[in-house]
Amino acid sequence: MPAVSAFGPPAVPGTETLPVLTALCDLLPRGGLARGSVLAVPEFGLLCLALAAGASAAGAWCGIAGIPEAGLAAAVGVGLDAERTLLVPDPGPAWPQVVASLLDGCELVLLRPPATAPVQVRRRLEAVLRRAGGVLLVAGDWPGAQVCLRVITQRWTGLGDGYGRVRACCAEVAADGRGEAALTRTRWLWLPGEDGGVAVADPVDIPVPGTPAAGTPTALRAVSAG
Amino acid sequence: MRVPTAGSAPPRIMVVRCPPLCPTQPPGPDTNPAGPQAARLFERVIAVVTGFCPNVEVTEPGVCAFGARGPARYFGGEAVLASKIIAAVAELGVESRVGVADGMFAAQLAASSAGPVGPFLVIPPGGTAGFLATQPVSVLADQGLADQNMATRDLAGLLKRLGLLTLGDLAALPVSDVASRFGDTGEAVHRLARGLDSRPLAARPPDRDLSVAREFDPPEPLAEPVVFAAKTLAEQLHAGLAARGLTCVRVQVQVTWADGGESSRLWRHDGLLAAAGVADRVRWQLDGWRAGPGDGHYAQGGIGVLRLVPDQVVRATGHQLALWGEAVISDRVARAAMRVQAMLGHEAVLRPVTGGGRNVSEQVSHVPFGEKREPSLAVGPPWPGRIMGAAPGVVYPAAREAEVADDAGQLVTVTGRCVLSAAPARLVIGREPPRRITAWAGPWPLSERWWDPGAARRRARFQLATDDGRAWLAVVRGSRWLIEAGYF
Repeated sequence: MPAVSAFGPPAVPGTETLPVLTALCDLLPRGGLARGSVLAVPEFGLLCLALAAGASAAGAWCGIAGIPEAGLAAAVGVGLDAERTLLVPDPGPAWPQVVASLLDGCELVLLRPPATAPVQVRRRLEAVLRRAGGVLLVAGDWPGAQVCLRVITQRWTGLGDGYGRVRACCAEVAADGRGEAALTRTRWLWLPGEDGGVAVADPVDIPVPGTPAAGTPTALRAVSAG
Repeated sequence: MRVPTAGSAPPRIMVVRCPPLCPTQPPGPDTNPAGPQAARLFERVIAVVTGFCPNVEVTEPGVCAFGARGPARYFGGEAVLASKIIAAVAELGVESRVGVADGMFAAQLAASSAGPVGPFLVIPPGGTAGFLATQPVSVLADQGLADQNMATRDLAGLLKRLGLLTLGDLAALPVSDVASRFGDTGEAVHRLARGLDSRPLAARPPDRDLSVAREFDPPEPLAEPVVFAAKTLAEQLHAGLAARGLTCVRVQVQVTWADGGESSRLWRHDGLLAAAGVADRVRWQLDGWRAGPGDGHYAQGGIGVLRLVPDQVVRATGHQLALWGEAVISDRVARAAMRVQAMLGHEAVLRPVTGGGRNVSEQVSHVPFGEKREPSLAVGPPWPGRIMGAAPGVVYPAAREAEVADDAGQLVTVTGRCVLSAAPARLVIGREPPRRITAWAGPWPLSERWWDPGAARRRARFQLATDDGRAWLAVVRGSRWLIEAGYF
């Protein structure tokens, strides 16, 4: 039994990993976010929010630093708990200290560093991370991240040629990394689905390259109300 | 400190309210929407009121109160005093309303209901119960008790549904029944409805000095570090009071300046002042004492000593958390958030609250850590015209400049009647490489607040899907294309 903080939230302490949404389990080597590890996603987007949502829904506090444009409504849709979220939109030049402070309080910190972090800064933050037993989710470049996830292709459904609205997105997500994550895994996901949540996409739903996104843009087509 | 004894006449309280300097939304003085400029102006109002009565206490930004019996006798009556104060405050260019009644709650109500009939409202001695009896229960949600606002507001709504429409109906119920059904909040509200203070004052002042102080050496020229120290001081103050089973409804903020001068102000709160609440009041007060506009420095050179003195202590009855729906912030999280606030400022650590609104940027409000989480726009109304479907994962704090062109490369325009010049085909966001538009929908017109020329907004909105698999929420405002949010 590893030593855990006595103040941790109910669902999370005592485990080696923080939980993720079930649809994302297959992408991660241990089926969750390993404590003390760094995960990187090249660009900020729904994937980052979805990765944080599982732990947040299970009772962990989540800090979001350096991302003023994080769409919290979508994040709440995929499962993030806004009650247990701290935002530091502009951590400024002292961002490593800010992230270290956040890691003392939050199990999970989503960070977009202002620039690629120098190696000393990364080492120091990784040491803080291991000591605190948290997870650092980087939206950007982080050499040495245990797992790297990225969206390879995505397509939004629901929009036509002048009609419709954005409804759901079918995305192919790939994960690779170092050690046990070295094998590249790819999955098709609804990110998000029609209900706002994240789900594994059925093979029949996966768009074939080259076809239009939603139906064929003919002059008129039958639609049902609602 | 005046200690009322049983059977003595209730205190006559005069409340001066400056509506332009008050938060426009009645509940929750936890934010200071009127800003530091209003705080400075209100400080000058208080200076004027202090000319009539030295012992003025502030209940919230824009509202102050004092015992009216002595000054009224000196100036020849409550009505005369009220009109003198209104005239003196008007010389500063600030409109004010004055209410006089037995007890703080009734006086505050009188001040906010003054207006249609005249700038002041005097409830004669003994008439307070009659005045309160006619007031609707919804005033409970707006007035006083701000610390327990959520509970009180819920209770006010519940009382209305139970058929208790006025405070008179509530006051007519036996106190034991109200207390057993609605608990601590119910009892406090019942006391207010009967014209009493929400909590009885402790019978005698504490037997020793419970004030706390912090010295700054060298004197601190900026407000933010002092406010941060005030949080810690307030926690010490509470620990000291709690050890004696007490808590305070009034706190005196005293500052000794670098030049040796002293300033002090009483802040009153009918709920109980939590540590964060005390720090907020220190911040408002320091804003008020600042010399000039902007980040002006203090004329007195800097802050040498900050002292918090508890005044009017009451017995602590404890605070019961709701069974569901209240997140408990552990010490660990609070410490981390406050450390970041100490580094970057109070407004740098935010907690999101989802609310209502038609635009994606309005649907999430950000509240500084330590303040009450309330959305700026209520979820309740249906908000016709809001964009349905998936929520965007990326919402730009400031909309990004963009250009949308048709197949021929001409900029796509939208007429006042929402007619497009051509189908959009190409999107350029800022200086990013152009994207081909594969699907689109719109325009959805939105005209908000057309009755208010300052806040009126007219725009047409579109959703655009581009060949990189992403989708965008675009608006056309005054023939300019802007990207408000991204779906990816």
